[in-house]
Amino acid sequence: MSVVNFEFRNEVLKHNASLSYCYQCSTCSGGCPVALLTDGKYNPRKIIEEAILGFQEKLVDEQDPNVWLCSTCQTCVELCPQNVELTEIFSLIKNRCFENGNYPEGFFSQGQAIIENGVAIPYSNAILNRRKKLGLPDVKTASVDEIRKLLKLTQFENNIKKRGG
Amino acid sequence: MGYDLFLGCVIPARLPFLEASSRKVFEKLGIELKDVDGFSCCPDPTGIEQIDHKTWLTLGARNLSLSRNSNGGIVSFCSGCVETLKGVNYFLNKDKKTKEEVNKDLKKIGGSYDGNTNVKHFAQVLYENLDKIRENITHPLDGFKVAVHYGCHYLRPSEYIQWDDPFEPKTIDEIVRVLGAESIDYELKLECCGNPVEKSDKELSLLMIKNKLQSIQDSGANCVALVCPACYQQFDFNQRELSKEEGIDFDIPVFYLSELVALALGIDRGDLGLNFHRIKPKSLFEIVHFA
Repeated sequence: MSVVNFEFRNEVLKHNASLSYCYQCSTCSGGCPVALLTDGKYNPRKIIEEAILGFQEKLVDEQDPNVWLCSTCQTCVELCPQNVELTEIFSLIKNRCFENGNYPEGFFSQGQAIIENGVAIPYSNAILNRRKKLGLPDVKTASVDEIRKLLKLTQFENNIKKRGG
Repeated sequence: MGYDLFLGCVIPARLPFLEASSRKVFEKLGIELKDVDGFSCCPDPTGIEQIDHKTWLTLGARNLSLSRNSNGGIVSFCSGCVETLKGVNYFLNKDKKTKEEVNKDLKKIGGSYDGNTNVKHFAQVLYENLDKIRENITHPLDGFKVAVHYGCHYLRPSEYIQWDDPFEPKTIDEIVRVLGAESIDYELKLECCGNPVEKSDKELSLLMIKNKLQSIQDSGANCVALVCPACYQQFDFNQRELSKEEGIDFDIPVFYLSELVALALGIDRGDLGLNFHRIKPKSLFEIVHFA
């Protein structure tokens, strides 16, 4: 049986106090395009309920419901009669998953690309040629050293290593 | 007035033809776009923000700091970049302590950010120049029955996007109508295209776009107009994927809004890179007799 974890609950509340306004009306799940298609596998109301109860293990370790299925369409945020900032709260939960190295591969590869290139998609020779043919100018993107320095300061480089690539 | 151009990653490094039509439209309308050196990934609000909020704020603030507001601020052709840059502004201005922390890191690379950079979506700039577009139309889009897809991040969260209406948007429909096309309503008009869940569940992502395309086909529309490169890939590239995986051929051409404006303004079709679309618009041009 899950036990209320006040520490985790307070951590979420500290990050986003709007969590405490939720009265579980389920407007979020009713308007959610993913909930509609996943037969309960994804359910924003339930994620918020588990956050209120501080169910860290369920949310971060077991990922039940799977918070990674949120499409970030922000429909729930607009619809919520209590102005609960659901997407922000989901983002905090996902940030904790990231710190534990437990998250989908696509996020890992995007993070790696930014560490290596400063941008999420490196410029291939084929694209550079295509740009030239289309009459587009060269793009001078950020200095990779500068971006890496920031990614070290925010602990991003450190945290991304926790996931087996 | 002119703007600093924020290109982001997906458009310049994967879909440069969308950049070509957008730049040409701005040039034709006499709105200056200034290229700025040194931008990084915005970063992606459906990617990096979801795994590390602090990194999202820090790189976003660095990008915003590179625009000096010498013009009208930043304009971007990408809804994701616009959401990030507006969102980072919003969070930093709401929370002084976080802003100080971010600036402490930026100082170590010789930067700082004051929170004052304006950010606009290119479709907003087009909407603000609707009269100028109307005056310059040489090739009205007669016969184009357009299913407008706003996409989520163009509209929401309204708290910091502060543009159009989150559930009853009208700006892109109006632009499309000014071009001479018809805007066709369809049941799933405001639904998410499903692109962001591709990283977590590819099957679900394909189901979401399949439902949208079906709704568009049922409405009688003959093409799609949209304003986000993630949505573009989902609509155009994944029609091929649906054909391969499930044998469903929608064959609905997908236009970036800038491409439709460019066509109506008489910009040479050969310069737009329409041949890079997976679903070729050629047969639509024939059906509607678009010269």
